[in-house]
Amino acid sequence: MSFSATLRDVTLKYRDSDALADVNLELEAGKIYGLLGRNGAGKTSLLSLLAAFRKPTSGEILVGGEPVWENVGIVSRVALIREGGDFDDSDSVKAAIETGQIRPGFDTAYALKLAERFELPLKKKVRELSRGKRSVLAAVCGLAARAELTMFDEVHLGMDAPTRDAFYKELLAEYMDRPHTVILSTHLIDEVANYLEEVIIVDRGRILRHEEVEVFQGMGATLTGAAAAVDEVAAGLEILAEQQLGGTKSITVAAFDPGTRERAAAAGLEIGPVGLQDLFIHLTEPSRNGA
Amino acid sequence: MPALQHLTLPNRRFTLGLGMAAEGLNYFKYWILAAVAIAFLGPLALSRYNEIDLSTWFYTANVAKWFTSFVAGGFLYVLVPNMIAAGMTRRELSVVMGVFGFLWSAALGALVVAGFLVERVYYDAMGWSQGVQGDDATTVIGTWGETAAFAAVHPLMYLAYFAAGALVGAAAYRWQSSGWLLVFPVLVVVFSLDNAVYDTEPFGPAWAGVLGRFMDDWGRGLVLTGVAVVAAGLAIAARRILIDIPLHSKKA
Amino acid sequence: MFDDGTPIYRQIADQIKAEIMNGSLEPGGKVMSTNQYAAFYQINPATAQKAFRELVDEGVLYKQRGVGMFVADDARERLAADFRERFFERVLAPLVQEARQAGISLTDIIDYLEAQEGARK
Repeated sequence: MSFSATLRDVTLKYRDSDALADVNLELEAGKIYGLLGRNGAGKTSLLSLLAAFRKPTSGEILVGGEPVWENVGIVSRVALIREGGDFDDSDSVKAAIETGQIRPGFDTAYALKLAERFELPLKKKVRELSRGKRSVLAAVCGLAARAELTMFDEVHLGMDAPTRDAFYKELLAEYMDRPHTVILSTHLIDEVANYLEEVIIVDRGRILRHEEVEVFQGMGATLTGAAAAVDEVAAGLEILAEQQLGGTKSITVAAFDPGTRERAAAAGLEIGPVGLQDLFIHLTEPSRNGA
Repeated sequence: MPALQHLTLPNRRFTLGLGMAAEGLNYFKYWILAAVAIAFLGPLALSRYNEIDLSTWFYTANVAKWFTSFVAGGFLYVLVPNMIAAGMTRRELSVVMGVFGFLWSAALGALVVAGFLVERVYYDAMGWSQGVQGDDATTVIGTWGETAAFAAVHPLMYLAYFAAGALVGAAAYRWQSSGWLLVFPVLVVVFSLDNAVYDTEPFGPAWAGVLGRFMDDWGRGLVLTGVAVVAAGLAIAARRILIDIPLHSKKA
Repeated sequence: MFDDGTPIYRQIADQIKAEIMNGSLEPGGKVMSTNQYAAFYQINPATAQKAFRELVDEGVLYKQRGVGMFVADDARERLAADFRERFFERVLAPLVQEARQAGISLTDIIDYLEAQEGARK
């Protein structure tokens, strides 16, 4: 049974600034979500609320259909893995893994298997680990928690590329083996894009977009060609970026419907894709939306 | 904590409380053994130069009070992020600490009671007198019954010190820059009461016993009731701070 | 492996179609499961599922409950028509347009193609 997650009119204030303002979000159970946002946009706050690490200033948070705050049956099956993990640094790696056993669903054998695969030194103290190994330990504990809602908040930081790749692979394998809800918060968007089913973009404490990943993939386009032709096709479109070199102009548009595609093709423009990462950068540009 | 392997969700708060007490005692077992050894061997060494008229177990028992506070506060400070991130509720964590506190105080209390009684036999055999440092003079404890009674208040004292440590630990986690300041008022209350139980001076700064002047004419029963009430109050306050404690973000 | 221009599920669907056309997938043959596809290409299983759904809708694959996905018996014929249509639309139409811009006449192109065909014989 994987958990759905719902936020209703949720506001979280730190002193007087809003970390999240009036957020509504509905996440269906059993999907892999990507949570994107610039630093300070509210990603970590959102995840902390879903894991009951903090209480919202106002609003309601349901996980698996129930209020998550102080709900033993729910929080014992929700895992939020933060960068570097939440460990007692004086513990040995093995003891840190075994702490996970306070979750009834924790799979110690799986954790130890992963620890071996990722070459974690079980006898070393947590504080002696490198940043990369520490991230791996956190990721291993997250996978082995076998939770119904598992969230990784920038857990890849400090991991090298091959390790990240192995982690994504393992995450996908675990997900297919045992359907559950996953939220990945990351800056390395293009690296995880293929693993995602839906993408949520948080910007300045609000949900900017929440769509299936394909919607984002078809959303934008880069049009390149003679400046006059480009301008003609682009008239009335929202332009995210613009570049001109001599008579050749290149623009990036966010909304790219089939009609425009046809007109662009007819005008002989070169149509290029916009990656999720670029689209994200454009969508959360601070100069947009009058900020 | 191998006991965790087969825990169930409704019982895990008790299992974990038991586990913490076991782990705490196990973690500090060499310290405890060393303290016991010093308590018995110390006077033997000193007796070559001085006449022994003070109970070393009195000092050991007092050090154990501070130690208890540090263990309670230190464990709680580490456990808050650790356990909540591992999917435990704050209510469960408060029960864990309660079980831990009772077991820890009982274990240390039992050890100290045994220590005083064995010491009594030991001192009698050596011809020394089991005394404590009072406000100005050394007081001989007196009869066997008095030794037993003197020892018997310790489990309660440990409970109070444990609760005090837990409260300061919870406050220090919750208010990272200022929470530890709670140590001052808490110390004054607990220390003054502790002073008043036998008109003795526990280990610590003199100013902390400032409230003692209001308790001069309290009977021992009243003081002990006060200790119990304060222990309960500290525990309730610690639970109150814990019950909606937010986890800090990892970095700014 | 994927270019980000078209959605991944469509690229997977296209690839399965190509495999049917070039004979590496036989009519009536079993196709890998969604999870196998997902694990092989390292993509979300829902994406692979979307590709399969599209192929089922087009009649290229059919589903046998509890057993898996199979290639339709007439899949090749269905696809042949599609491929023919797409060949003209995607390959020849731009060719003609580009030739026109470069001032190359259609007869020149036809001559060229005939020469190629002759060289092959």
